[in-house]
Amino acid sequence: MDTGLAGKTVLITGATRNHGRASALMFAQEGANLLLCTRQSMDRLEETARMASEYGVRAVSQLCDVTNEEQIDALVKRGVDEFGSIDVLVNNAGWRARGSLLNISTELWEEAIAVNLHAPFLMSKAVLPGMKERRWGRIINYSGIAPFRGASGQGTLKLANEGLTRAIATEYGKYNITANCIGPGSIAVERTPGQESGGESDSAMADNPVPRQGTVEECSAMVVYLASEQARYITGQTYLVNGGAHFL
Amino acid sequence: MESHLAGKTVLVTEASGKYGAPTALGFAREGCNLALGTSGPVDALSPTVEAAVELGAKVITGTWDVSVEEQVGALVSRCTDELGGIDVVVNNATVPLAADSVEEIPFAEWERKMAVELTGTTFVCKAVLPGMIEREWGRVLNYIGLSGFKGNSAPDAAVDLGLVGLARGIAREYGRHNITANCIGPGGVESAGEMGVLPFPPSDGDAVPRWGTPDELAFLAVCLASRDAGYVTGQTLLANGGKFFL
Repeated sequence: MDTGLAGKTVLITGATRNHGRASALMFAQEGANLLLCTRQSMDRLEETARMASEYGVRAVSQLCDVTNEEQIDALVKRGVDEFGSIDVLVNNAGWRARGSLLNISTELWEEAIAVNLHAPFLMSKAVLPGMKERRWGRIINYSGIAPFRGASGQGTLKLANEGLTRAIATEYGKYNITANCIGPGSIAVERTPGQESGGESDSAMADNPVPRQGTVEECSAMVVYLASEQARYITGQTYLVNGGAHFL
Repeated sequence: MESHLAGKTVLVTEASGKYGAPTALGFAREGCNLALGTSGPVDALSPTVEAAVELGAKVITGTWDVSVEEQVGALVSRCTDELGGIDVVVNNATVPLAADSVEEIPFAEWERKMAVELTGTTFVCKAVLPGMIEREWGRVLNYIGLSGFKGNSAPDAAVDLGLVGLARGIAREYGRHNITANCIGPGGVESAGEMGVLPFPPSDGDAVPRWGTPDELAFLAVCLASRDAGYVTGQTLLANGGKFFL
């Protein structure tokens, strides 16, 4: 399947591991150059970049706090300097606001809203002018399973992100820019200490229509699809990759 | 992106329909063999057959009325005999029915539409699922429309959401056998329209203010059937240029 992504530039936030790394490698296989960022581990980010470059593409790594507008502007400027444009934005960086509403501390909430909502907003603002100018762009945001389970913190932010996505879709569709969400379900990932969800092993998934956890590669395949040339008529949607845990 | 579909057999229930030919050819490009059904004359499928053979596909064709269970069984058996088991089924049989108002719909026409689009699709799924279960792999794709979400045509809307329910049921019941079932929901897609009418034309207020193309939908169908879409099931994936958000 020709995705038409060869030679495009893809910016992926939080590309040190899991979804971010898997997406980076899948875009690299399609011939896309990569602008990767993290605010945590440059070692792991550079490892992702090395792995991607084995597919013959160029990958640039940069430390960036995606909640900081100045750092975002610097990141996007570097991407444009190195590659000429940023064609696809994957707002993958996330931080889980777990716990019941009364138990979520204000600090955790502010951290979560900054990473999960402010960051996609700021990143989109930074890349949209270039996309408009070139009349081509793809923005992919992350929803998830939390809104369907009714988790107050994460669920709120994921649906807020969907609202942002629909608004970008509506405003920028005429420029051949699409914005969509991918909604992963229970996916086997490496968690940051303190961010574990627990109870999501394959054995706990027996009631799921697809009775196992998903893989980051399965999610990345959807991300790459949504970024593809052929997905140009799909916008403002949320495509769930959850083994049938919830239907939309 | 590698679909890993080479050598699979794909059944398209109405290969002369709006999405039938482009979807069939999308799968042929991935190295699939094709079973192409139609409710009309099989001659109408000739251009699609020729193009698919050119791409290296083995193709069988057959005319059928999917609302007649024996005819469904017969074509599925012939397909299994000649091409091997059906791995992917694309349900897109339609019976056009103009409906400005619920009050004006003759019951016979309503009944016929439901018989083909809902009951017929169910018959097709019933016929192909045992083989998919045996081989522990399968993909069910139902083409629906935007009416179920906009509510602008009662017969179309009823079928659309009925097929969503069918896909969810299959997803839940057969996911453990590596079988997924999903709906593709186009809106505002150009093609030779049913009865010359193309619903949901583009307007300046649309996110993507142009007609969609059947090829764009076919690519989504191929992606949903691909190996890496194995964790996507029971979903309705709208492709309408942002006319309606789900």
